Amino acid sequence: MKLRGLRQLAWSEFKLNLREPAMLFWALAFPALWMSLFGAIFKEPMPGFGYQGLSYANFLLPGGIGLVILASAFIGMPITLTTYRQTGVLKRLRVTPLKTSTLALGVTISQFIFMFLGIVVLFVVGKMFFDVQVLGSWAALIGVTVVGMITFLALGSAIGSVTRSPRAANAITMMIFMPMIFLSDMFLPISMLPAGLQPICKALPLTPLNIVLRDIVYGVPLSELWQLGIMAGWLVSGSLVTLKFFKWE
Amino acid sequence: MGIVVECEHVTKRYGDLIAVNDLSFSIEEGEIFGLVGPNGAGKTTLIEMIEGLRTPDSGSIKALGLDTTKQDGELKERIGVLLQTTSIQPDIKVKEALKLFASFYRHVPDNTEQLLRTLSLEDKADSRFKKLSGGLKQRVAIALALVNDPEILFLDELTTGLDPQARRNMWDLVENISTQGKTVFLSTHYMEEAEKLCDRLGIIDYGKIIALDTPGNLVSDLGGESKVTFGIEDKDIDASRFEVLEAVSRVEKLEDGFKLYTGDENTTLQELVRLADREELKVSNLRTESSNLDDVFLALTGREMRE
Repeated sequence: MKLRGLRQLAWSEFKLNLREPAMLFWALAFPALWMSLFGAIFKEPMPGFGYQGLSYANFLLPGGIGLVILASAFIGMPITLTTYRQTGVLKRLRVTPLKTSTLALGVTISQFIFMFLGIVVLFVVGKMFFDVQVLGSWAALIGVTVVGMITFLALGSAIGSVTRSPRAANAITMMIFMPMIFLSDMFLPISMLPAGLQPICKALPLTPLNIVLRDIVYGVPLSELWQLGIMAGWLVSGSLVTLKFFKWE
Repeated sequence: MGIVVECEHVTKRYGDLIAVNDLSFSIEEGEIFGLVGPNGAGKTTLIEMIEGLRTPDSGSIKALGLDTTKQDGELKERIGVLLQTTSIQPDIKVKEALKLFASFYRHVPDNTEQLLRTLSLEDKADSRFKKLSGGLKQRVAIALALVNDPEILFLDELTTGLDPQARRNMWDLVENISTQGKTVFLSTHYMEEAEKLCDRLGIIDYGKIIALDTPGNLVSDLGGESKVTFGIEDKDIDASRFEVLEAVSRVEKLEDGFKLYTGDENTTLQELVRLADREELKVSNLRTESSNLDDVFLALTGREMRE
């Protein structure tokens, strides 16, 4: 594998993401806006979260991280994959010595850089206006965040694999994206939702990410760590769908 | 001059369709070789097999001494390719694309600026690909094909979809590239383009090369018959008056004139002018047409080559 090619590819894909208005808004601006809005309106998490009495600012951070990951993976991956397929970019790349594995890795790395940027923006806003703190282990925070990134990238690839055009991918993304924000224990506690809906909420991939990240940020014992298993389930399903349906041309 | 591409009994099928049928030919170093034929004749399939993108069902292809199916990795380092439809990331800037593509190769000359100059793309270096016109996109695609300073340049349907001016610019460009000693392999369905550019060309139809020679030889092999066409005022004049002119083999009566088929255009013209002078015939719209590659295609296949 040529490192120069990988580096250039990851960097240019990252820059291309920066030129995508949907990515800029949903993955960079929206999570920070969301945090600012809720931080300005509410002083405490809604009852039902079990974090009453603790710093409210810290309640906002994990949800924001989840939003960055969700938006970047669900918008960026499908756009890249469908555009590559529709315009024949890959065929052009196939007559260069670039290997498909290098290409896949480059696209993944570019997504990682983009998510990292979104999380940095979130931290800066959180620090400036709400004095957020990570009370638990940074290593755990980073570790779980990376697991979240990989899981959602696999799901984003799955969306990009089963849809034909960037437009169709976008429609599916928005259909999943919006409800997921409300149903994933982010600012509305699942216990407040109708009983029939609750099992579905708990099975969504964003829910365990929110719950575990929140425990880490608050520095409380990680009793819900098993929930990462739900994410692993999504990771496997997303990968299988991608492998089954993915076509470059 | 060595041989840079050699195809031996190459066949490729798609289901029942034989796209390339037991085809053998070779390309010499430094020449501009053209593959001409109607759409669906097998041009793209053949080119993409030589580029290592597709595998022949039988037969063997060697390019630059490399087996195109087993050593395609090495081959791709040394060739430049313009696909029939090239597209790159819509939002990428021209200069970024050149840098990105250059990073895929082992040896790259540091020639981004020079490439932009050669292709007159300097003012477009910071433009996004999707904002460019068709002609400019094609220039970018050629620049990308040249980043690794390839030994063979493949140009599939170089000028399809371009306006006449852009097409002529492309021709100049290809001649320019060729003078730098690169072998150029192009495909086209424009006979005019093949005639203008190619040192040698193969005419391909239904997956077979039905003729292969220099454009000049292909035309002269037809027998070199030319046509002299003119209008005449006197509607009653008889065709036999022209049949006796020297070198004329056949006379065709047109609505308001005649068409003479001749083996010697010059003599026939002189005789015609003398005859008109002598008999005070009012000849107008006099023009001659030499045979061209379209006639060659017609003679070989019995069909017109449609665009």
